[in-house]
Amino acid sequence: MTFSTSRTTRVSYTGERGPIFRLAFSTGLLALITLGIYRFWGKTRLRRYIWGSTRLDGDAFEYTGTGLEKFLGFLVSVVILAVYLAVVQLVLFALGLRFIVNPRTEAEVLAQLVLIYATFFAVLPLIFYAGYRARRYKLARTRFRGIRFGMIHGAGGYVWRAILLLVVSILTLGLLTPLMTFRLEKYLTDRMFYGDARFVQGGSWTRLYRSMKHIFIGLGLLVLAAVAGAVLATVAHAALAAPVAILLGVVGYVWLIVGMIYFRVHGFAYLTRNKRLGPEIGFDAAPRTGTVIGQYLLGGLMVAIIVGVVAAILGGISFVLFENRLVSGAEPPLALIIAGVVAYLVLLIFAGALTMALITQPVLAHFTSTLTITNLEALSKIRQRQHDKGADAEGFADALDIGGAF
Amino acid sequence: MQPAAASYFDGLTATRHVVIVSPSRDLRGVWLQGPSLGTQGVIWPLDRLRLLPGQAGEMTLTMVADTDDEAPRDPARLVISDPGMMDFVRATAPGLAKVDTRRGTYGRLALRLTGAIAAIGLILFVLLPRLSDQLANNLSPEREVAFGDAVVEQVALTLGNVGSSEIVCTAPAGEAALETLRQQLIAGQDLRYDLRLRVFDHEMVNAFAAPGGQVIILRGLLDEAGSPAELAGVLAHEMGHVQARDPTRLAFRSAGSAGILSLLLGDASGGFVIALLGDHLLSAAYTRDAEAAADAFAHRLLTETGIGTAGLASFFNRIDKIDGNLPDYLSTHPSSGNRAEQARAADQGAANPVLTDAEWQSLQRICG
Repeated sequence: MTFSTSRTTRVSYTGERGPIFRLAFSTGLLALITLGIYRFWGKTRLRRYIWGSTRLDGDAFEYTGTGLEKFLGFLVSVVILAVYLAVVQLVLFALGLRFIVNPRTEAEVLAQLVLIYATFFAVLPLIFYAGYRARRYKLARTRFRGIRFGMIHGAGGYVWRAILLLVVSILTLGLLTPLMTFRLEKYLTDRMFYGDARFVQGGSWTRLYRSMKHIFIGLGLLVLAAVAGAVLATVAHAALAAPVAILLGVVGYVWLIVGMIYFRVHGFAYLTRNKRLGPEIGFDAAPRTGTVIGQYLLGGLMVAIIVGVVAAILGGISFVLFENRLVSGAEPPLALIIAGVVAYLVLLIFAGALTMALITQPVLAHFTSTLTITNLEALSKIRQRQHDKGADAEGFADALDIGGAF
Repeated sequence: MQPAAASYFDGLTATRHVVIVSPSRDLRGVWLQGPSLGTQGVIWPLDRLRLLPGQAGEMTLTMVADTDDEAPRDPARLVISDPGMMDFVRATAPGLAKVDTRRGTYGRLALRLTGAIAAIGLILFVLLPRLSDQLANNLSPEREVAFGDAVVEQVALTLGNVGSSEIVCTAPAGEAALETLRQQLIAGQDLRYDLRLRVFDHEMVNAFAAPGGQVIILRGLLDEAGSPAELAGVLAHEMGHVQARDPTRLAFRSAGSAGILSLLLGDASGGFVIALLGDHLLSAAYTRDAEAAADAFAHRLLTETGIGTAGLASFFNRIDKIDGNLPDYLSTHPSSGNRAEQARAADQGAANPVLTDAEWQSLQRICG
């Protein structure tokens, strides 16, 4: 089959800095005032804005989730989590009492490590479970042209596959990471729907190694740094050893970090290019690593400068206002301490809203606006799907704090 | 009102219908006409129209309808971008911004909220205490001692700025005096653990019991205590806690609740838990019953060993007069005066001097 004659349509992102900053800042403040309860409604409003700013062929996406259902889902999830975590933690604590504290022999050190990882692995299934449920909920609340996206059940199968693949990836020192990335994405994608049309993940995991090339170069440089340092130190040029090793090491380290970002960006592009919706609709993605890194650096710099200036101004004002008190060294009154804590929290929310406007949204805009859809006309054959209750409405993800930026 | 072009999505297929929108003949709805909608077209009543939040320059409309969706809304959508038509809808549709909630939503919210609070309360105050007491009671003495060592180390790290060895006071003459005091406190007593006493160099007026028979004295207490008998009184009280395994149970209880906290906050390692335990022991929030039992134990021990309860009584009187920087177990109790009277009432017979003046002075200078 060839699609050379089919039309390609570019996705566009129309969100702007001002509105998303105001939205993120005001919902953050409301969440602070309501001791965090408003965050469910705040997240809903933010998603509505982002979904509504994403357009395909002139039509905007729609987010239909509600704050109330998120809050209700959270209430249920937090109780289940509390029971599970309290019991697991307490039992592990009792088991590990001898080892966790002051290990005296090597066997005890080993036992301590095992127990620490046991605690970690006790939460891991929940994290994967929550991850699947969160994606399913997001899809179930996304519509395009009035038609629902959706995802079928499958969190259980995802959990054991994810744990197995993670163990394999760790045991091979990360060498089989592409296998994990690919298989998990395929598991998720093959369960996703738009209306009655199913998404399918094609391609193969071995092709993901091309996206890892810069990670290997970075690692190679680090090995070279160690070898060069050792060799130069043993032969005559001992004075050269340290500078050469350090230079190679720094270059290798930076290369490795950039390589990891490259893997994320190109891995995403590869996986997207090999997705299909139904028999006819395809995708193409062309995000650029340089752009993404540039957006992070530039955005990070802007956030740091703005937050720094605002913090300095606030600090100056409070110093002028309370100079006498500070100099006299007297204990500040409680009201002043509370005001200070509140100012600090507001500054954090301010920084978070800036990050959203200057880093998260630009990166998101880059990924969406480099995405194209082939053969969009075939959409008209797609029919509506049933409403999915969404069950916990990502309450687990929220309770475990793995929701991500939005 | 001029008819205007718009996009209509029927909620059944992903087809975009290009439609012409105009007011219906009776002016009570908007009329959508287009080649794909048949000869009659579709009429949306104005009073059922709802505006979906969207971008400036266009209006996405839906209808309120009894569906099983997340909100009672029709899945169909109408997107208008003609300014005149947008003004018409805004002016004539009465419930555009209305939030529709299903019957029973608030009842469900109240039910879940109560349920969640009750369940968490049940876990924190019934399930966890039961379970942790059970686990604490089954702990072997050796494990308890090792655990106590770790907790004390953590407290030392919390209190001192540097390593744990820096904070332990070890002047030889002071240690000898402390040993003399220890011998008197355990003389003839059948104790569950081997009593170990140590002094930490910190200005807080406090002493606390750790799991496994350790009692830690903070230097502030040595400075504040007026006599060796007062110190012995406080130590006897802490020994009461040790004997009743209060610190172990407290540690287990906070481990359970800290488990909830630390994992929800994303700290999967045990470090946070141990740190929190140290903090809990310092502020030692024992129950009032546990405090009363420890007082009773102290009265009996002080009487039996011949130290006498007068010291404890005078210590309670003393801390009544000072304020601030006091450990919770001393300051939050309703009236130290009352405890002082109880201590004095328990006194039967004259008290032996606990330490000589010289010994007491070396003990007070144990931190150098």
